[in-house]
Amino acid sequence: MITLNINGLSVSVEKGTTLLEVSRFYGFPIPTLCHMEGLSPYGACRLCVVEIGEGPRAKLVTSCTYPAEEGLKVRTSSARVVRARKVILELLLASCPQSKVIQDLASAHNIRRQRFRQEHEDCIMCGLCVRMCEEQMMAKAIGFRGRGETRTIGTPFDIRSEVCRLCGGCIYVCPACQLRCTYTDPDKAICGGCANLSPPCLEKEPFEDMMCYMEPCVACEITAASKKPETGREKEGKGAGDAIEDIL
Amino acid sequence: MPRLASIDDLKRLRGILRYDVDAGRLRVVLCAGTACQACGSNGIIRVAKRHIMTRGIQDKIALTITGGDILDCEMGPFVLVEPAGAFYAQVRLEDVPRIIDAALVGEHVDELVYQDPQSGRKYYRQDDIPFFKYQKRSLLEMGQKVDPIRINNYISEEGYAALEKALASGSPQWVVEEVKKSGLRGRGGGGFPTGRKWELLAAQPVDGGKYLVCNADEGDPGAYMDRSILEGNPHSIIEGMIIGAYGTGATKGIVYVRNEYPLAIKHLIIALRQAREYGLLGREILGTTFSFDIDIVKGAGAFVCGEETALIRSIEGKIGEPRQRPPFPVQRGIGGRPTAINNVETWANIPLIIRRGADEFAKIGTKGNSGTKIFSLVGKIKNTGLVEVPMGTTIRKIVYEIGGGPSGKARIKAIQTGGPSGGCIPADKFDLPIDYDSLAEAGTIMGSGGMIVMDENTCMVDVAKYFMNFLKDESCGKCFTCRKGTQRMYEILEDIASGKGTLEHIDLLEELAHVVKDTTMCGLGQTAPNPVLSTLRYFREEYLRHVVDKKCDAFVCRPLVGAPCQAACPLGTEAWRYVAHIARGEYEEAYRAIRETNPFPSVCARVCHHPCEERCVAGATGGDAVAIRALKRFITDRTDPSICRPTPAVWEDGEPPRVAIVGSGPAGITAAHHLSLKGYKVTVFEAEDRPGGMLYCAIPPYRLPREVIEKEIHALLNENIRIECGVALGRDIDVDGLIKDGYGAVLLAIGAHRSVPLRLEGENVAGVHPSIEFLKAFNLRGTKPAKGRVGVIGGGNSAVDAARTALRLDGVESVTILYRRTRDEMPAFAEEVEAAEQEGIAIQTLVTPLRVLSEGGRLVGVECVRNELGEVDSSGRRRPVPLPGTEHTIALDTLVVAIGEDSGADTISPALSSGVEITKKNTVRVDPKTLLTNRSGVFAAGDLVTGPNTVVEAIAAGKKAAIMIDRYVRGAILLEPAQPVLPRIYIEPAAPLEEGAEEGGRTETPRAAAAWRKRNFAEVEVSLSPEEASREAHRCLRCDLEFTRPKEEEESVSEARRQYA
Repeated sequence: MITLNINGLSVSVEKGTTLLEVSRFYGFPIPTLCHMEGLSPYGACRLCVVEIGEGPRAKLVTSCTYPAEEGLKVRTSSARVVRARKVILELLLASCPQSKVIQDLASAHNIRRQRFRQEHEDCIMCGLCVRMCEEQMMAKAIGFRGRGETRTIGTPFDIRSEVCRLCGGCIYVCPACQLRCTYTDPDKAICGGCANLSPPCLEKEPFEDMMCYMEPCVACEITAASKKPETGREKEGKGAGDAIEDIL
Repeated sequence: MPRLASIDDLKRLRGILRYDVDAGRLRVVLCAGTACQACGSNGIIRVAKRHIMTRGIQDKIALTITGGDILDCEMGPFVLVEPAGAFYAQVRLEDVPRIIDAALVGEHVDELVYQDPQSGRKYYRQDDIPFFKYQKRSLLEMGQKVDPIRINNYISEEGYAALEKALASGSPQWVVEEVKKSGLRGRGGGGFPTGRKWELLAAQPVDGGKYLVCNADEGDPGAYMDRSILEGNPHSIIEGMIIGAYGTGATKGIVYVRNEYPLAIKHLIIALRQAREYGLLGREILGTTFSFDIDIVKGAGAFVCGEETALIRSIEGKIGEPRQRPPFPVQRGIGGRPTAINNVETWANIPLIIRRGADEFAKIGTKGNSGTKIFSLVGKIKNTGLVEVPMGTTIRKIVYEIGGGPSGKARIKAIQTGGPSGGCIPADKFDLPIDYDSLAEAGTIMGSGGMIVMDENTCMVDVAKYFMNFLKDESCGKCFTCRKGTQRMYEILEDIASGKGTLEHIDLLEELAHVVKDTTMCGLGQTAPNPVLSTLRYFREEYLRHVVDKKCDAFVCRPLVGAPCQAACPLGTEAWRYVAHIARGEYEEAYRAIRETNPFPSVCARVCHHPCEERCVAGATGGDAVAIRALKRFITDRTDPSICRPTPAVWEDGEPPRVAIVGSGPAGITAAHHLSLKGYKVTVFEAEDRPGGMLYCAIPPYRLPREVIEKEIHALLNENIRIECGVALGRDIDVDGLIKDGYGAVLLAIGAHRSVPLRLEGENVAGVHPSIEFLKAFNLRGTKPAKGRVGVIGGGNSAVDAARTALRLDGVESVTILYRRTRDEMPAFAEEVEAAEQEGIAIQTLVTPLRVLSEGGRLVGVECVRNELGEVDSSGRRRPVPLPGTEHTIALDTLVVAIGEDSGADTISPALSSGVEITKKNTVRVDPKTLLTNRSGVFAAGDLVTGPNTVVEAIAAGKKAAIMIDRYVRGAILLEPAQPVLPRIYIEPAAPLEEGAEEGGRTETPRAAAAWRKRNFAEVEVSLSPEEASREAHRCLRCDLEFTRPKEEEESVSEARRQYA
């Protein structure tokens, strides 16, 4: 067992526990975006920073990756931590203003202004989808490409991956980008996961009137589109559009 | 090659190889590093070889081809003859046989020996050259001695002797202890103690293997010390790694080198093969039980792969992205195995430490920062190249002694260390010793050792923007704050640089930079804000200039500068516009363009110090600046001023307000003119008997004819202006009195009319004149105060004016200017100094007067001492230091003291002190933006505020004062938000002249012949002819078009460019 001090509270935890796990266990909330139980820690979103050490050696570390150490002093919401979190959330909000998850976090952290130029990206590169695909679905269908501002997530060469099973896990875990599924454009499909999620709208009659849990509902759109005559896609073999018809 | 089976075998081999060197055999060293190869060293090598073969002197002379860069790349190729040490630079093919022949008989070829490009001094030995003299080249020296592709060569130079010693010790712990004791810290920039890292690695379990990595992913722009070591002395890295493996128990070594270094990779592959063949690598090294081998991994060139965790992933074949530490590589590295990563330079230091002993090594440098460090010194500096100095050397020494000071005229402003994610250190902090800790304290990093010297033509906002652009591209993008943070910082910097910045931008930038530094994953992100934070820390003023005043003083940020000629002019004169009109032959329009901003066109056409020409893009990009002042003269000589004569407005709102202006120099008259046009009733008080101020008093008629001044001032007067001559502040009027008399505002513009005295013994004797008194005596009263041998002390414009005036007086035999620094540092305009010399005025530099000698109350001479240039002072100039024993007497009949002027405000202070604050320098303190003194309603402008300054600055101040007084009297807010001044009027480019007519450079302003002009006071400079003017005007590059060209035209131009491309 390791004894450490968290926000003044002396606690004991097992070796190998991360600071995030300790904090949450003892009821100190830490916001996260790229962390998920069952997936390996990644440390990309930097929201979970906490302050460790003292005096001039004090520093911020990501609690999702930092292992508990004997005698460590952790502060989960010091002024330095809060300032950093607020700026990070402001940056996130400026890039992905439409994400409900980010909006809620920003609101909870009392962010009332947005000083950066507004962008409309739909990805924060948290890597949850990539890890989900690799670690839980054992598919490795998607991955990162490019560097810095040109970094994107997708399949190799942007063609439909043969190892993708359309499980939808990637979309399920995404905190920012409910709209990323490009199911309607099967040539660029990442996963087409919605087809496997059995959206409730499809089970009810008449489903057109239902509020879809995805807005806009990808599945419904597909159904509507599939009613249209084929538009020369048949040459490219069986796309994901056909797959959904098979399922239905 | 036979495999060396034991340590003794290696010793024996070295003994045989040493024979050649010990015999003091003649050796010609040829450099074939990347830079030298580019300069043609391969040809030199071929010629040298052929010459030695054909003469059959192979056994008399040895040829060593090295791979390490020696000096400034542009000075290559180099040839070094040893043991004499004769050093030749920029060697041509035909010189090689001569050098070799001379070396054979123990001589050198005098005219080919390295010559310092600036001083012209010749240096016969490499060690005497200032660039080398102040260095301690323990690593680079080997690169100069050793042929990188011949292992025998390395062994003969004590190579692998350290390995021998380590293996012979039989104790890995001893090796680690030795490295610890040496105090060596990681040369990759982090500065982690190498011995400590090794100790940690040695403590890790062995099963499954341990790795040692040499990090040769040198990605900093402009840094190439690692490349130089790898190319020049790859065996030192290999030896270092073998020793490291022995000490830590590592089983596998990897050199991670960027693929952009083909020569380094080639030399390394050859070296590894040779080491294996000798049994220095592989199984059972030198007959011991210790085994170790090294592989090469080539990096694909991502900057971030220099970061250790990213480097590990890259070696593993994954995307080169860092991962969060802990665990540290020394716990879990390549494939999960313990790994120690050290920089090339760190590895190269290991053999030195083991061979010479840790204590010897620790003696170099300072406590906690031992050894030497290589820097790549580049930028606006005379000598560039790789520099190796002991840790703790001051920046000043590197920049001024080794680097030789600024390459151009501009002063050095800052130095940027540590590559793109390093920070800038300003020139006033150059006494900082270079070591890990003091650099970190100063807000920058050691990094891998890049050093970029920047002068005043560098904009610090632009520097931060440049590096942020690099970093945002090179950020791997894994962690959010680095990816978005660098992007956003760049975005904000771009806004500031393009004039869209606000004060909130600066706060946000600073806040963001701190958060990015605090929260990113790896070293790249944590140091990425350094360019921003360090420039904000030391150069916040520059940011504020961009944001508040919308000015870029370095003339770099185009959206703020517009046309540089216009931006450089204190008046904002659209120089491009009248030059364009002259090219089109539209002389009247040209005159209007000048007159709109400048009430004194004819005066400025003669005496302006033309800052527009200094900033002209045609000149700044390597050619000659357009002769803008000569073109102005051409127009003002040919145009009748009456075509542009603004009429004064009538004050509509009751009785016009009255304004008092004290002083009728360019500042006073300009202010009076502009106020009168707005309807004010202005009274100008002048102490002398006619208006004009310094134009009359100080500027001699051969530069500015009296009738030009009179005409110009006369044209500016109207019924709203009344001039009262012979009324002096303090004697006849004072500030309180003027306000009591009902003047709504008072402008003080009395200039700087008092010469600063020498403060030497015996100064107050007949024959010694303060310069302004001297010039006034002649210019105003027509007396001739000089005779016989005349000496002028000082190097400014009033010194040159006094000297040239004296020369033209009857009864003067000779004129000598005495200045304490060198010609280059004289503050007078270069063209004036040149004209003075043409007229036969002697200029003695590096002399300081000590005593004024007199007989019977009359000057007979001055006693002077010679100076030499000493240390560089805070202004970036070398301080003159008197040389004892060089005192000498100069016999003189007249001495003019021109070492500076001030306003003399202290002597009239009872008058000024009606509450007006005066500084120690005897100037009036004003708010620089409003020109308002501490007393409400009292403004000050011109030399009284700035100290002695130029005419055009005074005019600009007068104009500004008029605007401020107008706002003050109307009760408006004095300060309005600044806007960048950009060209607005489109003037279609003139038809080109016939082919070739624009070539041939700048048209020099014609001057009257020196022999004739020095006998009289007629004007020296002559106007251009219409053909010359047209040709000169056509040379203008029309920087304004970027801002003024109509849209359609812009499209057709870019279309044409596309087609051309």
